[in-house]
Order: sequence, then structure tokens, then C-alpha cells
Amino acid sequence: MTRARYRDALKHGAIWAFILVELAFFSIAGEYLSVSDKAFMDFDNMLLLLKQSAPIGIIALGMTIIMINGNIDLSVGATYALSAIVLLDSMTWPALQAMGDWAIPLAWGLALMTGAVLGAINGLIVWKTGVDAFIVTLGSMLGYRGLVFMINGEQPTSHLNWTLVDFAEAQFLGLHTATWFLLLTALALWLMMTRTVHGRNAYAIGNNREAAVNAGIRVGPHMMWNFVLIGFLAALSAVVFYSESGSVNPNDGMLFELWAVTAVVLGGTKLTGGYGSIISTLGGVIAIQLLRKGLGHIGAATETVNLVIGLILIAVLLLDRQLNRKGKEELKI
Amino acid sequence: MDKNEASILGGITLDKGAFASVRDTEGWEVACKRDKIIDGRNQRMKVTLKAALVCTTAMFATAAAAETMTIGITQNNVGVDSYQTTYERAFIAAAEANPDVEAVVLDAGGDVARQIAQMEDLIQQEVDAIIIWPTNGEAVIPAVRKAHNAGIPVIVTNSNIAEQGFDFVASFSGPDNITQGARAAEIMCDKFKDMGIEAEARVVQISGQPGYTTAIERQKGFDDRLPEVCPNVTLVETQPGDWNREKSQQVMEAFLVKYDDIDGVYAGDDNMGVGALNAAKAAGREGIIFVGATNFAVGYDAMAAGDYWGSIYQSPVDDAEAALKTAIDILNGEELPFLNYFDTPKITQDNMDEFTKPVF
Repeated sequence: MTRARYRDALKHGAIWAFILVELAFFSIAGEYLSVSDKAFMDFDNMLLLLKQSAPIGIIALGMTIIMINGNIDLSVGATYALSAIVLLDSMTWPALQAMGDWAIPLAWGLALMTGAVLGAINGLIVWKTGVDAFIVTLGSMLGYRGLVFMINGEQPTSHLNWTLVDFAEAQFLGLHTATWFLLLTALALWLMMTRTVHGRNAYAIGNNREAAVNAGIRVGPHMMWNFVLIGFLAALSAVVFYSESGSVNPNDGMLFELWAVTAVVLGGTKLTGGYGSIISTLGGVIAIQLLRKGLGHIGAATETVNLVIGLILIAVLLLDRQLNRKGKEELKI
Repeated sequence: MDKNEASILGGITLDKGAFASVRDTEGWEVACKRDKIIDGRNQRMKVTLKAALVCTTAMFATAAAAETMTIGITQNNVGVDSYQTTYERAFIAAAEANPDVEAVVLDAGGDVARQIAQMEDLIQQEVDAIIIWPTNGEAVIPAVRKAHNAGIPVIVTNSNIAEQGFDFVASFSGPDNITQGARAAEIMCDKFKDMGIEAEARVVQISGQPGYTTAIERQKGFDDRLPEVCPNVTLVETQPGDWNREKSQQVMEAFLVKYDDIDGVYAGDDNMGVGALNAAKAAGREGIIFVGATNFAVGYDAMAAGDYWGSIYQSPVDDAEAALKTAIDILNGEELPFLNYFDTPKITQDNMDEFTKPVF
């Protein structure tokens, strides 16, 4: 029992230890390699780090729950782009333009609803057909991206609203708007996963779907709600990001699904489901952003980021496997 | 000798007395202040040593520009094509060749979110000027405003941002893409006139990556100019090739199936033009006039082989050097035109020997 707990702590702690290593490395390397006179660990820089983690972070938090369920959602990038288009395009509709700045909350609502509906479509298909979520969301990834191009054409959709930009750039208690959204999402989802029946069911389903069904958990609707949730979160991420940038390219959000999955896996969540933690995913997201930022800070080529993250990902999986194997051997004895 | 020694001592030990004793040299004081030697908070060995070096250099060069400038650049997507790869190499080479410049070279990998983060990082690092090659001409405007508000001049390179952001930009350095598109239309029209088919020729267009200002402008220049010079030539259809040769080949294959009569193909750059040329060759269709809007080595070779008619000569080396020079000029307080274009001449099979083969 205590062994198991120790192993758990090791797994949860690993990502934060890794973050500390990164911080130490970039601080020291920055002294010699950076042309900037500012320290890497500068407080403002760390605040920026959190802010820059938000777009992929909010999605990755939702992805954690999907993956704890034993599913995956590859359509988040396309959902993100589509919600962004709804956000920016709706503000140019005459009806909304007439409302002045009150159009902003309405546009947000429409964008979030778009995300939730797109998620619900995924969830409904997974529930009613029983097809693997990987295949379903692979299809919807292509389908939603197709929709983006149909609505958007080949050109970017743009609407620059300075009120919105000022809101998005604001800092409340030192933290940027995007950071608040990231942290509040993390808090809400952490409470959900640790304090509610829905959260405990998510682990149960991921661990053993048969057993969960036998225990009377309604697996289909449960999964559907999680897909609605991640659709909503992908839209939330778009709302937060595009409030500040005001223009969406039709291929924005591509590969976001892979970065989100990477962050989740770095955080120690199992691809097979049943095990994972929201807080560790937050660590995974920060670790990725820290790498991007740090390698830029010391003047390394940007491509090295992908190489380094790839190597670390493999190392994490090996470590995870090693720890689990040890556990099983111990059980046999 | 005395002053020299004192400045080194001053630099390392932060001895206020030593500072005072050499204050007579203007350039020295500026250089040292800029490196924040006097501000004891950030004192680190590297900084002080660097500053000391600057100070000593300044001693000999007196008030001349011995000031090191840190210039950050965030590029669009370096790995995606040879133009951007050569641009980056040329930029780094130009920055290294200039002893007064230290460059922070970043690449956004085509991702707007990453580019905005890089802008924020450069502002955070307090660079002296930022050069940006925008991934999206509108999405980066708030980030550019942020730099402007932080007192850092922003130079937009290669493709400009949207007009709403012009107030926050110090200068634009790059090719005039509308002129390039227009000149490509002229090349094509002149060729049709030589062939005597200007009354009935049909043209298809392969444009660049959607959402990219360069693509939009090269298309606009061509679309607007073609009816002016050749009013009877029809532009049948336009499809994006995403600056990608394979994609353009597929687009052209589709065009060839769809239209029996194609006399000319205009591509946003030679990379895409050669993709289209390959499709036409594979389908056995001859006599099509291919014109690009930026000359690449592949296009140059195809021109030499007589398969490809013409293009616009735009050197990424000129582009990168122009961007760096614009940034340096602005930091030196020189007056520059807002749109700081460098020239991009026409190149066809007839005059190609006047140009060296593009390195990219």
C-alpha cells in the first residue's frame, strides 16, 4: 500500500522535477548563451510562460479526462479553428454589430456553443455506434477542418476589436486573462475528477469498461458528456486566444491535438485509460512551453524543440513502463 | 592607456569613481548605460565583461556607433521552403558580419500562437528592435502594438501586416508583391502577344498559402494587371497550391482534367509553377506558358531547359539584408519611407543570362 503510494508520488512528482531541471538548465545556460541581459527566471517571464501555455493547456486539461476514459479526441484542433471563426465572424453580423460591445459576450456564447455541439456530435457517434473514438474523431477532425475551409474560404476570418484585445491583454492580480482561464479550468476539472461521482466514474470506465457497465455506470452518456466538455474547452481555448489576436487562418489549430496529447502523456496519464491527473497535465503543458521558451532564450534553433520533446516523451513512457512492471512483479511474489 | 584601464576596472568592479574619471567620452557613457552596468541589479559577469569590452572599444572609436544593438527576429516558417531557409541563413550571416549587431533568431513554425509568444518573449528580453515575418497579417497586430507600447520599434519583413496595424510599425522591408503579380501578368501578356494568341488565351492561376498576405497580394497584382494589358485573356480559375510543389502538381492535374484548353499558368512562386509544369509534362500537354512570381533555382533550370517561360527575380539574400539594414537604420534614427521596397526585376528565357541562378 505505501509502496503504491510512493510510486504514485514518484510518477506525479516526475513532471514537476523535470520542470525544475528545465528551469535550472535554462537559467544557467542563459547566463552564457543568451544575448539578453534579463534572467530567464525573471518573474514577468514566468507569468508570460503561464499565459503562453493557455491555448494548448486548456485543451490538454480536457484531453486528460477523455484519455482517462480510455478515449482520445483528435478533432480538438479543428473544433478550435471552427469556434474561432464563429467568434470573430459573428461579431461582424449586423445584428450583433448593432449591440456595440454587448456583442462580445454573445459572440463568446456562440463560439462556446459551437464547440459543445461539435463535441456532442463526436460523443453521440461514439456512444451510439460503439466505434472507437480514435476513428470517430479522426473522421471529424477531417470533417470539421473541411467545414472551416467551406465557411472561411481560403482567406483568414478577421475582426479586430480593441475592447476585446484590451480585455485579453489585461492583468488581474498580476496574472494575464488567459492565465486565469487556464488556472480556473484546471481547478474546476480537478474538483470534478477528485470530488464528484462523474470523476470517479471516469477512472472506473477507463480501468475496466466491462466492470463499469456491470456496476451500473451508464458508460455511453458518460463518454458523451466528456466529449461535450472537451468540445467546450477547445472553444474556450479559441475564445481566450482569438480575443487577443482577432484573425484566424483556416489552418490554425492544426497539430494542436498532438501537442495536447503530448502534454497529457508527459503528465503521466496512461494512453490505455484509468490513470491520470489534471494537475500533472498542467505540469506537462508548462514543461512543453518552458522548452519552447527556453530554447528560444538560449538561441537554439526552433526545430530542436520538437526533437527534445520527442526524446523526453519516449523517456517518460519508458519510465512509466518500468515503474508499472516493477509493480506487477511485486504482486506475483 | 589610463582611461582604458580605468574603464575595464570600472566595468568589472562597478567602481563609481572610475566611471566619473572617464566621463568625457560621449560614446562610452551611452554604451555603458545601455548595458545597464550602473544598474547594480542585473550585474552578472558576462554582462559586465561585455560592457567593459564595449566601453574600451568606444574609447577608441569615440562617439561613433560602437553601440551593440540586439535585434530579434521571428520568422514565419523556416523549414517549409527553400526561400525561407536561405533567408534565415542570409540573415544570420549578415548579423554576424556586423560587429554592432547581436541577433536573436526565432521561427514560429507557421503557428500564430507560437509567433505571438515569441513576440512577447522578445519584448520581455528587452531587445532594441524586433523584425517580424508575420504568420497572419492581422492576428499579430495586437502583439505588434504591445512591442510598440514597450518602446521597441517593429520592422515587418517580407509580407506586410494589415493596415490597422500600420500605426505600430516603424517600417516595412520587403518586396512589392502587388508589383510582382502585375509584372508576371505583363510577362505573360507579352508572350501571348508574341505568339499571337492574346485575343483568346485562357489562363489558370495557382496561388500561395491561404491567409498569407504575400499570396493575396501576388494574386491581386496579377488579377488587376492582366485585364489592363491583355483584356481578352480569360482567367479561368484560381486554386491555392500552399507554396508547395506536390500540392500544386495535384491542383494542376485537376485543372488539366477539367479544361481542355489552357494556354498559360501563373503560379505564386516557381516552386508551385514547376509543380504545375510537372503535371503538364506527365499529361503530355505542350505549349503552355508557365510564369511564376518569384524565381527559384528549379524555375531557373526549367527556364534554361526551355520548359518554363518567366518569373520575377527576388533574392531572399537581398530580402534578409534589407530587413536587417532597415532595423539598423531605424535604431540609428534615420528617416525611412514606411514601405521600404527592394527591387524585383522581370526574368524570362530572353534575359535570364543577366541573372545568376538563385541559390534556393
